[in-house]
Amino acid sequence: MSTLSPGACRLRVRYAKDGRLAHLGHLEVMGTIMRSVRRAGLPFEVSEGFARRMRIQFSQALPVGASSVAEYYDLLLPEPIDAAQALEELRASTPSALAPTAAKLLPRRMPALEAWANRATWDVEIACTTDEAQAFPSELARTRERGYLDFMRGDKPRHLELGPTLVSCEVLSSACGLRLALDTRTTEQGSLRPAVLVQAVMGRPPVRVCRLGQWHEAEDGNLLDPMA
Amino acid sequence: MRLPREDLFWRIEPLLGSVERPSRYLNHEWGAIEEQDGPFHACVMYPDIYDVGVPNLGLAILYDELNRLKGVSCERAYLPWVDMCSLMRENSIPLLSLETSSPVASFDLVGISLAHELVCTNVIEALDLAGITLLAEERDEDEPIVIAGGPSAWNAEPLAPIFDAILLGDGERAVSRIALTVRDARTEGVPRTEVLRRLSGLEGVYVPSLYEVVIDETSTRWGYAVPKTGSDAPAIIRKHCIAHLKETEPVAQRIVPYLSVVQDRLTVEILRGCARGCRFCQAGMTYRPVRERPADQVLEAVERGLQTSGYDECCLSSLSTTDHSQCAGMLHELHENLSGKGIRVSIPSQRLDSFGVDMASAARSSRKAGLTFAPEAGSQRLRDVINKNVTDENMDSAARNAFSNGYRRMKLYFMMGLHTETDDDLRGIARMAERVVGIGREMLGPKSKVTVALSASVFVPKCHTPFQWEGQLPLEETHRRQRVMLEAATDRAVRISYHDAETSLVEGALSKMGRKGFDLVLAAWRHGCRFDAWTDQFDFESWRQAATDIGLDLEDIACERFDLDARLPWDHTSPGVSKGYLQREWRRALEGMTTEDCTMGSCTGCGVCPTLHVSNDLAGERA
Ligand code: SF4
Repeated sequence: MSTLSPGACRLRVRYAKDGRLAHLGHLEVMGTIMRSVRRAGLPFEVSEGFARRMRIQFSQALPVGASSVAEYYDLLLPEPIDAAQALEELRASTPSALAPTAAKLLPRRMPALEAWANRATWDVEIACTTDEAQAFPSELARTRERGYLDFMRGDKPRHLELGPTLVSCEVLSSACGLRLALDTRTTEQGSLRPAVLVQAVMGRPPVRVCRLGQWHEAEDGNLLDPMA
Repeated sequence: MRLPREDLFWRIEPLLGSVERPSRYLNHEWGAIEEQDGPFHACVMYPDIYDVGVPNLGLAILYDELNRLKGVSCERAYLPWVDMCSLMRENSIPLLSLETSSPVASFDLVGISLAHELVCTNVIEALDLAGITLLAEERDEDEPIVIAGGPSAWNAEPLAPIFDAILLGDGERAVSRIALTVRDARTEGVPRTEVLRRLSGLEGVYVPSLYEVVIDETSTRWGYAVPKTGSDAPAIIRKHCIAHLKETEPVAQRIVPYLSVVQDRLTVEILRGCARGCRFCQAGMTYRPVRERPADQVLEAVERGLQTSGYDECCLSSLSTTDHSQCAGMLHELHENLSGKGIRVSIPSQRLDSFGVDMASAARSSRKAGLTFAPEAGSQRLRDVINKNVTDENMDSAARNAFSNGYRRMKLYFMMGLHTETDDDLRGIARMAERVVGIGREMLGPKSKVTVALSASVFVPKCHTPFQWEGQLPLEETHRRQRVMLEAATDRAVRISYHDAETSLVEGALSKMGRKGFDLVLAAWRHGCRFDAWTDQFDFESWRQAATDIGLDLEDIACERFDLDARLPWDHTSPGVSKGYLQREWRRALEGMTTEDCTMGSCTGCGVCPTLHVSNDLAGERA
């Protein structure tokens, strides 16, 4: 381990994932953001070893096809910079559909974002008939009663307990059918993807998924904002 | 049929959830030019998937140049992967451009890049999906003018009936002249035939419909092309050649893709052309003379390109990067400038000598990936035949230098089926690889994990090379020779891989048969062939069947030798290298006489410089 320079810190950036770029995979988003950081000309630390890479941490992967207004990354810096100016520079160097919306300097020693931000809320839109919309709440209740989901991720079978991972699910009506306000928690066992839940309840995926927020759930149950 | 220009992204968007890697179809990448106001609209197309096409530097150059022209806009298109092609056909969605998602069939000019022979069926697939009339002569008046260019344009005869025009040679400036000629002719409202006639008057532009194929006693069975009676098209179309690379934009590649592509990095072309004179190498003959980009321009370009793209790797590309007269200084300076920024510099392959290894180390190329060398043949005798001027001592000193610089892996490229090759030459390939392993063990100890990956491709005789008269090995003989080489390699540290003999046979057939090749390509496409360069998609049986359908046999075509004096199907096109020079080189090959590199010695009389009024343009003295 190299020793940290006295000024070492991190720049936490909140960004959106919007429009057609919702179809990007997590690796593609990561690659695009790292290039945006280089284009912005911000200073950053690079890893040791032969393949020296930018030191950057991302919040949990967003499923392909989902949009978001609350994604985060931490850029590890050798010394503090002006966060407001960095935000401007990043805005100018990032595709607008992944535009950064806030930036803040934080201490260097913090838990990695991916594990830390373990709660998320989602806006989910489902296209369905009136009959299907009426049947949805009872179907959802049945799924929750059963307590788990078995599904495939790629070609691998997965099992997920709903009790710990599904915090709440409010069913609202919408123009095209239904809208869900979903609150999920990531546990060591995994996280619940909205599309997986909807697929299990309705037999088809939702038409639109948007992550509205991510938080850290403290031991006392309080939710901490990543930008606080 | 000319389709209306309209944004059809809304039609493919619902399909994105059902296809592999949807990011291929999203467009709006960083650096893409979104204002596409025209009013003249061009579209450059790479007939393979996005991931393969985006890094193509040739297309990037044309995109950049056309978009700089006032009143001209240029977009890109790629062939969707098979899953998306099927869905688009099912939903009657035509092939779309990327920038504005407009039908490719709505453009004024469509330019297709021909990177190699195996894209032939993809070109048909792309035009079919686009809804553009396949045969140039049957196209409606208002349909796009469809042109082609790129390295494989030298053997475009099998696709000649498809193209309104084919650009031979360097694309810079020529593409602007083509676009402006088409635009002006269209504005005047002249008929399509007149547009083509005007194009045929431009340097390097070949208009196939103005030529007819004649078969007589002076030709091979595939004939030769002559201007049609009454046409004022030139009897020989000489390539378009820019005199100085330094007068071209060094950072042509401006688009940064979202998904990781085949070569995910900034590419700066530091030199064009190679005069080493390997007798099998088409690029070595068709890209002459050698034109170097000066070091200061390269350094400025790398800095600017990295800044505007955000890439963390930069490749100094060319046919022979380590031959650049300022290579060592450039790499040294780049290393100084980029150290601590997490940026890698790469060079495509290493010159086979100790200097080549020094340069790889200076570029800090990955120790893990190892070094790549191309000795091409396993014996000095055969290397002299092919004019690959490297010796066993060069190989040994390169290996010693590599091992002492921390490299443990080496990749060696060879070619099998070369003229006069014997079984002993093949065993020589294995011996060479084992000798390299031996050097590694001697230097690093018997337990050191030194490995050599040996890759053997099948020699395919290419037009405009001294071996253009040669035939290819029959399939069975290729397989037998592969076994000879395999059996000769006993050391487990040597790993051998082959190019597929069947794929090479198709490539060989298409390289020989001139315009008649179109019937074969069309029949193969009708049998379902496309993406032939993809091993999991290539279907040899369908190609064989396609040949049978038109009364031909692939092996018979590919293995045929041509008479040295015969008129060849591509004699009406010229890269500037004279046929007399190629014949002389062929005779020298048979005598095992080598020919030196004119950038390091004196002119060897290939003809390019006097014919095209250019000369080697070096930035310094070559060592
Ligand atoms: S004409 Fe002479 S100097 Fe020019 S490329 Fe050919 S061999 Fe080299």
